[in-house]
Amino acid sequence: MPSKKNLWVVALLLVLSLVAAACGGTGDDAGQVDTPDTGEVTKGGVATWESEEFAFTNGFDPTGEYLGEAWAVMTNMLLRTLVSYPHVAGAPGNEIVPDLAEDLPEVSEDGLTYTFKLKEGIKFGPPVSREITSKDIEYAFRRIATESQVAQYANYYEGTIKGLEVGKDPGPGGIEGIETPDDKTIVFTLTKPTGDFLNRVAMPATAPIPEEVAKCFTKAGEYGRYLISSAGYMFEGSEDLDISSCDTMKPISGFNPTKSQVFVRNPDYDQATDEYRQNNIDGMEHRLNTNTNDFEQKVIAGDVDFVYTPTPATLRKFVQDPELKQRLYINPGDRTWYITMNLAEPPFDDIHVRKAANLIMDKEGLQRAWGGPTQGEIATHIIPDAMLNEALAEYDPYPSENHAGDEAAAKEEMKQSKYDTDGDGVCDDPVCEDVLQIGSNTPPNTDMLPVVESSLEKIGITLDSREVTDAYTPIQTVAKEVPISIRPGWGKDYPDAFTFVGFLFDSDFPCTGNYNYSLVGLTEEKAKECGIDMPDEPIPSVDKDIATCVDLTGEERLNCWAELDKKLMEEVVPWIPYLDAQVVFGTSPRVTKFEFDQFAGHVAWSNIALTEVANE
Amino acid sequence: MTQERLLEVKDLKVHFNTPDGIVRAVDGVSFKLDRGETLGIVGESGSGKSVTCLTSLRLTNLESADVSGEVIFKGRDLLKITKEELRQVRGKELSMIFQDPFACLHPLYKVGDQIAEAIFAHEDCSKQAAKKRVVDLLGAVGIPRPDSRYNDYPHQFSGGMRQRAMIAMALVHNPDVLIADEPTTALDVTVQAQILDLIERLKTDFNVGVILITHDLGVVADVAQTVMVMYAGRPVEIGTKDRVFSQPLHPYTWGLLESIPHVDQKGTRLVPIQGMPPSLIRVPPGCPFHPRCPHRFEPCDKDVPELYDRGGGHPDACHLSIEDKKRLWNERERRRRKVAS
Amino acid sequence: MGRYIARRLLYLMMVVLIITLATFLIFYVMPPGDPAVAFAGKTPTPEVIEQVKIQFGLDKPIHVQYLTFVRNIFLGDEYGWPGLGFSFDTRSPVKEELFTRAAVTMQLGFGAAVLWLLVGISVGIVSALRRRTMVDRAAMGFALFGVSAPVFAVGLFALFVFWQQLDWSPGTGYVPIREDPGEWLAHMILPWAVLALQYAAFYARMVRGNLLETLGEDYIRTARAKGLSERKVIGKHGLRSSLTPVVTIFGLDFSLLLGGAVLTESVFNIPGLGQLVISAVNRSDIPVVLAVTVVAALFVTFMSLVVDVIYGFLDPRVRLS
Repeated sequence: MPSKKNLWVVALLLVLSLVAAACGGTGDDAGQVDTPDTGEVTKGGVATWESEEFAFTNGFDPTGEYLGEAWAVMTNMLLRTLVSYPHVAGAPGNEIVPDLAEDLPEVSEDGLTYTFKLKEGIKFGPPVSREITSKDIEYAFRRIATESQVAQYANYYEGTIKGLEVGKDPGPGGIEGIETPDDKTIVFTLTKPTGDFLNRVAMPATAPIPEEVAKCFTKAGEYGRYLISSAGYMFEGSEDLDISSCDTMKPISGFNPTKSQVFVRNPDYDQATDEYRQNNIDGMEHRLNTNTNDFEQKVIAGDVDFVYTPTPATLRKFVQDPELKQRLYINPGDRTWYITMNLAEPPFDDIHVRKAANLIMDKEGLQRAWGGPTQGEIATHIIPDAMLNEALAEYDPYPSENHAGDEAAAKEEMKQSKYDTDGDGVCDDPVCEDVLQIGSNTPPNTDMLPVVESSLEKIGITLDSREVTDAYTPIQTVAKEVPISIRPGWGKDYPDAFTFVGFLFDSDFPCTGNYNYSLVGLTEEKAKECGIDMPDEPIPSVDKDIATCVDLTGEERLNCWAELDKKLMEEVVPWIPYLDAQVVFGTSPRVTKFEFDQFAGHVAWSNIALTEVANE
Repeated sequence: MTQERLLEVKDLKVHFNTPDGIVRAVDGVSFKLDRGETLGIVGESGSGKSVTCLTSLRLTNLESADVSGEVIFKGRDLLKITKEELRQVRGKELSMIFQDPFACLHPLYKVGDQIAEAIFAHEDCSKQAAKKRVVDLLGAVGIPRPDSRYNDYPHQFSGGMRQRAMIAMALVHNPDVLIADEPTTALDVTVQAQILDLIERLKTDFNVGVILITHDLGVVADVAQTVMVMYAGRPVEIGTKDRVFSQPLHPYTWGLLESIPHVDQKGTRLVPIQGMPPSLIRVPPGCPFHPRCPHRFEPCDKDVPELYDRGGGHPDACHLSIEDKKRLWNERERRRRKVAS
Repeated sequence: MGRYIARRLLYLMMVVLIITLATFLIFYVMPPGDPAVAFAGKTPTPEVIEQVKIQFGLDKPIHVQYLTFVRNIFLGDEYGWPGLGFSFDTRSPVKEELFTRAAVTMQLGFGAAVLWLLVGISVGIVSALRRRTMVDRAAMGFALFGVSAPVFAVGLFALFVFWQQLDWSPGTGYVPIREDPGEWLAHMILPWAVLALQYAAFYARMVRGNLLETLGEDYIRTARAKGLSERKVIGKHGLRSSLTPVVTIFGLDFSLLLGGAVLTESVFNIPGLGQLVISAVNRSDIPVVLAVTVVAALFVTFMSLVVDVIYGFLDPRVRLS
């Protein structure tokens, strides 16, 4: 996802350069996964959190929401899905575990049928307060299939679950591939083997929704203010929701979409049914605050408990003050920042040029431009290491000393290019002059640009850079024919590389709103449809490789994605990946146990703990 | 007629301190006013005639002014009494009406109420009674339908009516002295005559002393008994109206007289006074009038002529001998008439 | 008078129509990005975008959208009257939120207005009467600072001093008066003061200037000449003329303020209209932006009518016809 958080990250940069200086470049503690060592944790306390927004939309409807910070709240506090994640940091946090289901499902031999058995004794929170059944899960899928709900990731289900097509609400039993033989059993039938299907049914949109409530809300996102909990907490005032008819329902008092969300314990929740959520805190209050400086101050002062990606000034305080430094947590963000090259535009239509660009790039300089190691480790390939179980941690097809670029190797590569006619390792074709580059007009892009320009100049490529507010729109429009951009970054949707390489290099891309900026797999038809010319050089496609990996599961699948990553890096070379981003949290001293939710990339609300003082 | 001395100004000086220097707006003025008398003070703009009167009531901006001399009103020096005593005098015993009736009434209050306010300033009185008195007064000064006019705002009055209202305001307490500062300047000719008429009538009816300030000798000719001519902050000639008009002694007065159109002397040439009034910051040495005086001679640019009575209670400030004055005035008169005929 | 007001109300309607049309065109016809695309989220497939457009009526021709919008304002929509639409962002009807916010802004604006009128006018009067004294110089120096200091800087500074250093203030945020009047007051004082500062400074200068000018008027001399005490001369004749123009300025300032005291609300995190509209703009929540614009425009034009009527009473020279 091209993140809404980009601005934040960008803002961080300035600070980070200072931080980097302060750290003396050791970077040791910057990269580590920082989980405090805690034995006993205290129960109780109300956690507070202030930020500028609740989610992608402030509607907070699970069907229509896709930002990590909302997923963190939903999956930790409000919604249980058939399977889920343990809500911890690092690779363990990306493991699938049963949640509503008694166990991981039975999968048929052909990998097409998944049968889940639901646990007994799991109820919806007030005012519904009844046992959750398989029908409630089916209803969640019906909502995904209902066009007017504008589900944010219906593409993970449409064409995968048999008979699920986005259109009108198919009604109970209306989706062929979802059967509910009894209240505690749900069976999915797929159209093709899908190795990451369990990740897909761990998404918040698939959590059970009581139809008796949600049917009243036909507009996308409207249900958010009536959200019925299935997990350890609920919106304060949920019990006052009068569900006797659609007309009597007034928004739950604990959620004001422009002000605050207040969560309290869900009295109908049975801790015995849940091994992965400790639910230490008594509740949480998330308030919107337009004054960033203000809420960061509050975290330092201890009045507010969490700040996500603090601004440069605040981060500097956290890093420099030994006491505050204890309260700073850095975790892998499962997000790669990269420079994209367009395979259909000279000079990047020549693979030797793309390889040479990878070899020459001063990635260490780019990391510094971002603010140093706190921001992330240098990336040498596409999929973030934490998502491949570190399988490619040592892999670097374009190595150089200190990642500063290898001029000799780059020139050697350039010599093989048709654009280097005299074979001196420097491009001498006019196409290498003033190549259009579109980047953002804010840091870190503005700080990166000199590094990128001086690197590429060594192999004879000069850039004509445009710095704009919204760089994504032009590079997502195929007809704009942007040869190169330093803007992009991509974060996972769920911890499977499908959400990286399976999604980003699919040759069946739209002509606008396209995420395959490099146009990997571009065909004659597609070029015509989007109104561009096919280049002379053949364009490689990885569609088949994707199709192969998609079917697989487990270790095999992981290896398949890793191989595809390597193939992309060596035979396609669409990107110059340079940063494997990290997520930074600052906390108040009240937080005795911090936990990072690797899936959501945010606070694991169900597993943090506060001091008892918090119970005032 | 018994003469009662109402007001006596002695050697009044008003000097304003400005960033450009000291402005000698009034530089030694003395005069007397008796009950039933009308004193006309005449001079060009800037001659100090308004400042003299405003200062008598301490209405000038005293913060930036040096005032010396005495203003004896019924035995008390108005320049020395307390503010409260002064307030008691203002509008009650000594009233004033001003040049521009457009600006002198508060635009946001009813005319009647503004007059009634003058009543309340000096006596306790019921609202009804005050209103009745105001209505009567408005009628007395010649405002038609005074009852309904009471509730009008100044902008609903014509210029003449406003001036009448001002006069009514000045008369609410039956004052001893009425100072009228250019009361007719802003009005058209027919209204001028009416207003002057009114002042004249009031003087007789109420037996007050009137000071009439004007730049127009014609106005003085109609109503004044005594005339004081001022130039550059000083009196240059004081005398009864008849003497000043028939046997003026100061060349400046001559100039003024020659610049009045005379209805009875058809075709008379109007002779403007040459030159401009002097700056009050740099008053010319000697006789302040000498740069404009056609009859100046040796001492005029050195010695300041004193205001000096050469007999007949008709003092003037000029170095010329009385014989020369008579001769020169007669010559000028002859020449003027000759041109006319 | 009745006819005058009727005509002004008609005029007010027209102003609102023009303003809404302009806002509508700016946000729907020339948007920085397609609102439907922004709304569609991560996977803006043509189908999703189409669906979003249908749901928010964006698929209809622009003039139909506008007419529907206008009709809803006057006749109400499915969420009641006036019909201000459904928020893209909060996925709730705009109306209720807007009125809640307006009430908060009203509290902020009203308190600040009382403060700045009291302080501004009294400082202005004292300054004028003690002209060229130390008091005057100090007051005008302060006013110059107040007029030129940016609100956000003053706000942040005030928070730093009174909250973070001295701990006299409970800090940012808003507590509804119904919940806890004491806390409400404690939270409002600083924003009131900061918001009032700039206006108070401006009003002090204005009142001082007006009063000095008035005191030079001939009718003030008349008032003295008729024997009024100095207190009456200044307190009645002087102030009446100097304060009447303040009414007009105040009406305008106050009504503009109710369109949202954007900076103050942001700095102090007060959930008023200004904060609402800022976040709505940031998040391309066009219905909210439109609704706030309409309400603010209505308020400003309505206040200018009120001011004109009041002015007619205060200044008889102004004829209402």
